[in-house]
Amino acid sequence: MSQRATDALFQSLFLLTDIRVMLRETAPLHQLSAEEKETAGKLLKSVRRQVDILEEELI
Amino acid sequence: MRCGGDIEARQVDETAINIDPIQVGGRLTADAMKAVIAYGDGYSVCDNCRKPFRLDYIKKPPIADFHADLASWLEMDSCRVVPGARRGFQAVCQALVKRGDPVILTALSHYTEFLGVESAGGVPREIPKDERNHITPDAAAETIERVIRTDGKTPALLFVEGVDYQFGNHHDIRGIAKVAHSYDIPVLYNGAYTVGILPVSGRDLGVDFVIGSGHKSMAAPAPSGLLATTEEYAEKIFATTAVKGDQTGRTFGIKEVAMMGCTLMGVTIMGMMASFPHVKERVLQWDEELRKGKIIIDALTSIEGTKILSDMPREHTLTRIDTRESFDRVAETHKKRGFYFTSALGKRGIAGVIPGATKVWKFNTYGMTAGQAEYTAGVFLDIATENGLAVNE
Repeated sequence: MSQRATDALFQSLFLLTDIRVMLRETAPLHQLSAEEKETAGKLLKSVRRQVDILEEELI
Repeated sequence: MRCGGDIEARQVDETAINIDPIQVGGRLTADAMKAVIAYGDGYSVCDNCRKPFRLDYIKKPPIADFHADLASWLEMDSCRVVPGARRGFQAVCQALVKRGDPVILTALSHYTEFLGVESAGGVPREIPKDERNHITPDAAAETIERVIRTDGKTPALLFVEGVDYQFGNHHDIRGIAKVAHSYDIPVLYNGAYTVGILPVSGRDLGVDFVIGSGHKSMAAPAPSGLLATTEEYAEKIFATTAVKGDQTGRTFGIKEVAMMGCTLMGVTIMGMMASFPHVKERVLQWDEELRKGKIIIDALTSIEGTKILSDMPREHTLTRIDTRESFDRVAETHKKRGFYFTSALGKRGIAGVIPGATKVWKFNTYGMTAGQAEYTAGVFLDIATENGLAVNE
């Protein structure tokens, strides 16, 4: 069992969910403010980190 | 894009501003979406179900606490989660209504309230609405008197909607409850459009039952809802099983008959629970929701010929509008007929209006950002001017 991989999987899905909500809050044009862009950037960086963990653990 | 098989991924709220009158209060919070990811499997909340084996006793996840929190939040004594407000109506009717009993509903009651009465063999009797589309204490009193006179029985129960689904109007619940109680008739408050989006206190309203809808107003997956009641009625409504199998001698612990044992055993309750802290916060922001709604109402009423059929100024985000003298006039000669309107809305990223509707229709502005409210208002004005309708500054 890889608890680390499982946690990384859920964490990445949760981070992507935060991005989903961002899409909802900025629909239909999705023109993000500077602050929203910064938040989106942080979220995407965190998702990449979780995907890296998944790669390390599973491949 | 597909979820699997022939199921298309639903992206309505990611790609558009949704103003569907029944959908907006039930959209999930981020936390509820995360709970859906983690608890999507069938009996996902039952991993740690221990004696006495009932949903509202489960401590991990904290479902027992959630039940207590719901009751105290609504200022009622007991609460259960149910698969939609309709199952709450049914549970109350099954406990209080006998075959042939008259039950008071209103001219603005939802069809599921009627079905709840019918499921128990009750006979629906409606309180008429007045010319302002309100249900009043006087009309309630007159209806009760009429029913006693014609049916020869005091009604077993009275339903009343905090905010009705047709106009989104508020009604004098305290006054109606006072009238009903003077005849010893218990009062069921239908909070499908209030519980979860604006503050509700069962104690202040003076009602015996508060019913809410998770998927309509508590940012929860369907079907979900709640049934809260007072100490006086809790034992009757939540009566536990007393039957025994005649061959096996089996009995069924403390399962509640009207609840059919456990109710929301997975993703529905977890979504409801995950949203609850946000729901408690958002009801306190109701005035802000009305302010955002006003931006859109002001735009619509500036279009010549457009009339708001709901109370004005608006005290709810659900609104019934009459555009027969504005957008429908365009439809008379437009090549797309009535569909030009929803088509134009769709192209600009506004969803939730019934396709083809240009006469009398409803919309709900709940939950949008201020920017989205401004954008939506602008879209209505754009469509009006584009089609030659006069807009008053």
